[in-house]
Amino acid sequence: MANVDRREFLRLVGAGGVGAGAGFMLAESIKHPVEYLIPYPVPPEEFSPGIATWYNSVCGMCPAGCGISVRTREGRAKKIEGNPLHPVNQGKLCALGHAGLQVLYNPDRLTGPMIQNGERGADEFVKTTWEDGLSRTADRLAAARQDGIYFLTQGVRGHLANLFELFMGELSSDRLLHYDFAHPHALYAANKRLFGEHQLPYYDIRNTRYLLSFGADYLTNWLSPVHHSLGFGHSRHGNDGVRGRFVQIEPRMSISGAAADEWIPARPGTEGFLALSVAHRIVADGHYEGDDAGEWRKALSAWSPGRAASLTGVSEATISRLAREFARADPALAIGGGAAANHTNGVDNLVAVSALNYLVGNIGKPGGVVFNPEPVTGASAIDRQANYRTMQKLVEDARDGKIDVLIVNNTNPAFSLPLASGFREAMAAIPTIVSLSSFIDETTLMADVLLPSHTYLEGWADDMPEPGVGFPVGAISQPVVAPLYNSRSTGDIVLDLSGKLGFNEAIPWTSMEDVLKDGWRRIYERGAPEPGDFDSFWRDVLVSGVWGENVRRGDSVTIAPGAIEGMAVSEPRLAGESGDYPFILHPYLSSSMYDGRGANLPWMQELPDPMTSIVYGTWVEMNPVTAKEMGLTDGDLVTVTSGTGSIEAPVVVFPAIMPDVVAMPIGQGHDALGRYARNRGANPIEILAPETDSASGNLATSATRVALAPTGRRATLVKTGGESRQLGRGIVQSTGSRSSRGHSAKLNSIPIVVEVAESAVVESA
Amino acid sequence: MGVSIVPTLKVLKPAARIVLVALVGIAVGYFANAAFFPGTKPEQPIAFSHRIHAGDNEIPCLYCHVQARRSISAGVPSVNKCMGCHAEVAADRPQVALLTNYWENREPISWIKVHDLPDFVHFTHKRHVAAGIECQTCHGPVETMEVVSREAPVKMGLCLDCHRKNEVQYGTDCWTCHK
Repeated sequence: MANVDRREFLRLVGAGGVGAGAGFMLAESIKHPVEYLIPYPVPPEEFSPGIATWYNSVCGMCPAGCGISVRTREGRAKKIEGNPLHPVNQGKLCALGHAGLQVLYNPDRLTGPMIQNGERGADEFVKTTWEDGLSRTADRLAAARQDGIYFLTQGVRGHLANLFELFMGELSSDRLLHYDFAHPHALYAANKRLFGEHQLPYYDIRNTRYLLSFGADYLTNWLSPVHHSLGFGHSRHGNDGVRGRFVQIEPRMSISGAAADEWIPARPGTEGFLALSVAHRIVADGHYEGDDAGEWRKALSAWSPGRAASLTGVSEATISRLAREFARADPALAIGGGAAANHTNGVDNLVAVSALNYLVGNIGKPGGVVFNPEPVTGASAIDRQANYRTMQKLVEDARDGKIDVLIVNNTNPAFSLPLASGFREAMAAIPTIVSLSSFIDETTLMADVLLPSHTYLEGWADDMPEPGVGFPVGAISQPVVAPLYNSRSTGDIVLDLSGKLGFNEAIPWTSMEDVLKDGWRRIYERGAPEPGDFDSFWRDVLVSGVWGENVRRGDSVTIAPGAIEGMAVSEPRLAGESGDYPFILHPYLSSSMYDGRGANLPWMQELPDPMTSIVYGTWVEMNPVTAKEMGLTDGDLVTVTSGTGSIEAPVVVFPAIMPDVVAMPIGQGHDALGRYARNRGANPIEILAPETDSASGNLATSATRVALAPTGRRATLVKTGGESRQLGRGIVQSTGSRSSRGHSAKLNSIPIVVEVAESAVVESA
Repeated sequence: MGVSIVPTLKVLKPAARIVLVALVGIAVGYFANAAFFPGTKPEQPIAFSHRIHAGDNEIPCLYCHVQARRSISAGVPSVNKCMGCHAEVAADRPQVALLTNYWENREPISWIKVHDLPDFVHFTHKRHVAAGIECQTCHGPVETMEVVSREAPVKMGLCLDCHRKNEVQYGTDCWTCHK
């Protein structure tokens, strides 16, 4: 080795030292970080570490009322599954149900009572105590006039609904409103008008062999979608070897439409004409042989398929074929919803659809329309459902200074009412707004006092699902985890308030659990041999997650007097002149956001829309021919303008929509509701015209005309699917196609036929 | 060729020695860390001796590690389990005094995990205890340890060797452990 002088030596020592240090740190950095084992000082009795405990409860994400089983580990909810024992969902659960975990553990949850410290709507809430929040509220309630207190709640059933009634009764106010955007007002009214029935019947999709759906997206969000999905599957697998056939009639192909055997586009609001003409054919061809056949013939005489063809855009031949197929299938079932229900003639449309069921004799039969026995409790809630007309009255009352206190519970009309309703402005005129909601949504943002409720996974309630399954069903919603924050069960908040107001005689309970136990004691006594055994009954109901009674409606249901003669469908009204606003806006409930409540759940934002595969956004769907005429492609930002407002959204070229209809999903466009929901997309409800169905007071959501204008800007559509065309790859195989007439456009393997005459028919291969 | 690389190399010769020593230093430092600070025998908050408890006093493993028979994790005894004996036994010893302090404040003890598997491995004690495998097979002769140390290398090879030798059903299937 060469000579090493001192300088060299020092350099070598330094290099060696630094190297050793570096090597040491390198070894240190790739080591597994230290983990700790931390036992309890005293082990809890409710669980064993590492062993999961399952709790059965009721899903609170939509009004269907499915039963859930929640897997918990060490007191934390880990996974929500469907409860196999519950007759509504039988172990299955929709995506929104699974996302309940993200409601429970959402970072934007209200953690305790708060007071608005700034101007109303300024979002300057400061923490306070329950004592303070409750006292303030109780004082304002005590000082209010008769009927000066409005209680605006999401639709609730069971004993919580009863408690609300009692509370409002004690407060001398009749203004108890259950407000859900998607409540099927028209369907209730139609069943009332045609059959004199107060509640919804059970539509037995499972056992039907032919389902004719007029706009009802039964697989996604109509009434009880999980139950219908189960029924769809069963009907398809073959009842006695006959595979169920599904026909969907709507202006824009929904998910149910995509699953159907045949999709028939019809102009929004004209579905009733179609139904009447099908009924006309059924009676005229002699398929109906009831005693009142003569009355029906007379009532339907004006509704020939020829007349309906020009009104609806569906050809005479198709109408006659549908009538023949529907009458011959046994059993067949007709349902209505979506654009058919939510129009200015919605009730007329649905009465016509229901009439079809009567004419093929499926009322009370398997595969048909089965009316439910009286609900076990909470029936008063049906009358409290607020339609648009009721909400308009609320707005007027607020403007006239008639409202002293507004209590809001987990409902969001500031988002789900059109801007034209004036709801947001009206709230400014209400002196005191108290919110029991768990999140600061657009409505709760305007509150003065926040008394946050537990989420449904932390509190006590119960549910008797509507429209049920043909026999009485009930389930108790129990806490599956200890409450995370300083919130309280909604029922307990009401009990606390009524305690402060001195309502102890009428409302003697101190906790919601006691309310439920008392109520369920009465249910137990309906058929119980030994009164002393209630405790094991209560435990059984909690453990199994469901209760039922083997009771069916005995009486046969008949047509209400005058209903046949009055059978008519009025012309649908559209807001806006076709010259100024050439398109009809068809907003639909998003399969992930539902009515907007899913927007603060990242799983729902990430869930691709099944028809377009888009995530995290809003879009406007238009027909390819229309898009070509306007020079628009996927991603072009357009303004969608109605007579009452304007929003912006990117275009999606969507083949299965009528040329003069544009469709937008509902759910995004929040300016509150937390970090995941805010400032994302657009809310089509905002620009809807305040058109209502006079027969039900329901908002006609598909009755607004809009104009589209390109902005010149583009947006990137974030989607999980790529090209929507096959480009010769043979992905979708078809088994033959119908003949085409006139000009045709081939898209995937579905030949779209545009007939040269006025009618437009899409026939799937 | 007109240009040679040799003059450049000659210039760098002194630097070469430094780089060589540095690289040797890195290697020495790395292996010194592995040899002297392996992390397999961490110092615990209380100097609990398994030799005294499991060895001399012959307390069965499952008396304290209760969950091993029925859960994925064996569990570490809760403080009140220790106090079950130590409220009376050896109450004057300094380490027991530390323990009693934890109990009086109802404070949990942060034991450092010695046998730590990565998060992507699913290991369940229940199945292995039920199969009759002795704790010492993987954890080593714990009843002789003053301070618990990691005797066996907790690597996939250890699991596979045993699964192969004992012909465990689906024992070599990826999904069995990595799910």
